Amino acid sequence: MYGGDEVSAIVLDLGSYSCKAGYAGEDAPKAVFPSVVGSIDQTGANDEIKPERDSESMSDSKTGVKALDSDKTKPKRKLYVGTQALDYRRDHMEVISPLKDGVVVDWDIVDNIWNYAFRQRLLIDPKEHPILLAEPSTNSPLQREKAAELLFENYKVPALFLAKNAVLTSFASGRATSLVVDSGGGSTVVAAVHDGYVLQKAVATSPIGGEFLTDCMMKSLESKGIVLKPRYSFKKKEISPGEYQIVDLDFPNTTESYKLYSTRAIAGDIKESVCRVPDTPFEEAAYANVPMTPYELPDGQTIEIGADRFKVPDVLFNPSLSQTIPGMESIADSTSLRGLPQMVIESINKCDVDIRRELFSSILLAGGTSSMQQLKERLEKDLMEEAPQAARVKVLASGNSTERRFSVWIGGSILASLGSFQQMWFSKAEYEEHGVSYIQRKCP
Amino acid sequence: MDAKDILGLPKNSFPVIQEKKPRPPRDSQRRPDGVHREVYALTGGMAPLMPTIEVSHLKRKPTVDKEKISWQWLPFTSSARTDNLQLYHWVRVVNRVPPTGDYSFAKYNKSVEVLKYTDEEYEKHLADPMWTKEETDQLFDLCERFDLRFVVIADRFPTSRSVEELKNRYYSVTRALIVARAPSPADVSGHPLVKEPFNLAHEIERKRALSSVLSQTKQQERREAEILAEAKRIMESRMASKSSEEVELPVTSIDNGGSEKAAAPGESISPSANNNPSSSNVAPPAAAIDTTSTPASLRMLRVYLRTHALEQMVQAVSSTAGMRTIKRVDQTLQDLGVHVKPKVPTKSVCAEHLELRKEILTLLNLQKQLQNKEAEVSANRETSFTEAPGTPKRSYRGDVDRPFIPDSVGFGGERVGKRDHKRKAPGRTMDAPPSPPQSKRPRKLKTSD
Repeated sequence: MYGGDEVSAIVLDLGSYSCKAGYAGEDAPKAVFPSVVGSIDQTGANDEIKPERDSESMSDSKTGVKALDSDKTKPKRKLYVGTQALDYRRDHMEVISPLKDGVVVDWDIVDNIWNYAFRQRLLIDPKEHPILLAEPSTNSPLQREKAAELLFENYKVPALFLAKNAVLTSFASGRATSLVVDSGGGSTVVAAVHDGYVLQKAVATSPIGGEFLTDCMMKSLESKGIVLKPRYSFKKKEISPGEYQIVDLDFPNTTESYKLYSTRAIAGDIKESVCRVPDTPFEEAAYANVPMTPYELPDGQTIEIGADRFKVPDVLFNPSLSQTIPGMESIADSTSLRGLPQMVIESINKCDVDIRRELFSSILLAGGTSSMQQLKERLEKDLMEEAPQAARVKVLASGNSTERRFSVWIGGSILASLGSFQQMWFSKAEYEEHGVSYIQRKCP
Repeated sequence: MDAKDILGLPKNSFPVIQEKKPRPPRDSQRRPDGVHREVYALTGGMAPLMPTIEVSHLKRKPTVDKEKISWQWLPFTSSARTDNLQLYHWVRVVNRVPPTGDYSFAKYNKSVEVLKYTDEEYEKHLADPMWTKEETDQLFDLCERFDLRFVVIADRFPTSRSVEELKNRYYSVTRALIVARAPSPADVSGHPLVKEPFNLAHEIERKRALSSVLSQTKQQERREAEILAEAKRIMESRMASKSSEEVELPVTSIDNGGSEKAAAPGESISPSANNNPSSSNVAPPAAAIDTTSTPASLRMLRVYLRTHALEQMVQAVSSTAGMRTIKRVDQTLQDLGVHVKPKVPTKSVCAEHLELRKEILTLLNLQKQLQNKEAEVSANRETSFTEAPGTPKRSYRGDVDRPFIPDSVGFGGERVGKRDHKRKAPGRTMDAPPSPPQSKRPRKLKTSD
């Protein structure tokens, strides 16, 4: 019996690194773009606007309740969303993220991102489609209510559901009970899911995520004297057929954040292509003579990466390693951070005794950072040492790296297209009748 | 005809052809089955038919009664929802009539029935010093929302209570309610909750044990594994020693009959306590202890053939004897007119057979020993006459030779078996073995091996 019934729902997952959006029932999101936006302050254009209106619109931008007049232009600033818009260098464009520590702080940006996703990428009218929104496993009730309010008031969606990331990942692998290790861009979250519900008391988070590792890589390379030139800062000129010369372009009005963003893109690519998780905890002496891997930078420079290949991923398991990288010591209280195996054990031990065994035998890996090579094997090995003998440790990860990156979205796609899910939507009528706080009951 | 079947054409469309070739009746009997038709064709039967396609068939559409099916994007409501949200989905529309009825997935909306109590009921039956009314209300609300998933309920409960406490409270309240609401106690005594109340102490104990199991460190686990292995070894050796005692008793109590075919089925104690003579043969266990040999290893088998048992016992007994001796034993048996394998292997017969073998072995051994001794004595006599001045050497050699004696004595002792009380040892040690037979003895020792 096929349990699916498509109602053309839209699944939206706003992560800390990238935003995924697409139709439910499909096996990959149609729209994937960075969840940071470029913003140019348009202080010049604000002179004609009356101060009250200015302050009013400021408060509006904080709450996001009042509808926007036009799509993107606001009295305050102009936002550029999407890969194409971001990759084009503009003067004075700052790169800002709506999230801070996994919590949304700027609802205006989120609004813009959603708008872009619906109208520019998916080309739909949100009025006709129920929306399934993926939210962090540690989302506070206030945040949920804000999100619901925004969607119902601004976009007039017919129905809405908020699902936690960990639950969706669990459903993507066909399990109702599992321990989900989600290491994404901004943070790593270890959450236990039992029977389709997240056990909130057993969630462990750590700010070490893909971006942290990218920063480690960047600082490490810089300390070795390698300069990562962002793509916009040079041009390749052909002197003779096949030979190119690098011409440095100077854009004095480029903001620091943009430069950082572009440099991070390059360092992120280095990290994704050469890094491997070492089989044993990293030691400087052991890896001093490891063979170097070459990598060609966009400007033609070839660099050699040696011990960093293994050092950077090992930060996941041993956060204090980041202290040894010059430039990264400023990260506060990294000694209190736990490595991945410790977080897993901690999370499981906070759960009820009866389900611990089941959790040990179904540990799921999700998130972009989890597609690092050898991560699964190393985690399994470390856990088998620390875990009790009676429990059989099994770490599961889908072989396909796109599946790991989008496992939250895929879980949402599965959930929203199930026949027996259609009774669980939080509809507009219910929102109007019971108010926004009813969502806490409807979306557990 | 099968060609028509393949094309899907109606069967009675070729009356013309049938009239043209009048067929004898037997054709209709033989025709349909493929084999028969071919056989008939071999004998020059009817020519293969090419079904003609009549024009009337072509004009007519192949199927008229098919329904018109289309897919439409239609709204639907579900009875599982409390509001009347209309979502859209693809619907298979047959003959322009959309399907009626409730949403097909609405029937999966099942939930657990959680009893609700009124305030008076609470005051009368359900008050508990450890639980306030608000907490109990919250608990029941969560129970309903989460369908009695206590792990999740414990997670979402505002104050921190353990899963067992919540379960205990829920089950005791429900039980009290059922009992209170029942018209008579007899009605509800069959209800599972009334019959077996939730045992909080047991649950707590069980969880404590489970958590201690799961939180053992590697050291503890290794030590436990070692202790268990040690205990197992002790158990096995204890069992082995026990079975060896049992073997000695029945062996001494069996008569020295030597009768090959005992008619009466034996009721004597068999060496192995738990045997079950049936026809399934079980492979011998890995832990075969050599000293008490067969009985102990057979004891581990539950079921085995008696001949198999007998073979094992014979083997065990003659394991110290050597191939040549075994052959001589068999030869002797045959000379006596006894079957090498007893024809009727009942308990007593086998026991007697075994006894017989043992005695023959003993006999042979004794004969051999006797021969040895006689040879020694005769050799001794010769050497003592020729080597008179060599007495000190002799005595020296005697010292050297003496170590040989215990071996042969012990050797013979084993072969003789536990039953044999004729110990040659005392006699032998008194002899002073001379030198020349030394050369003979190693040889003899070798052959006996």
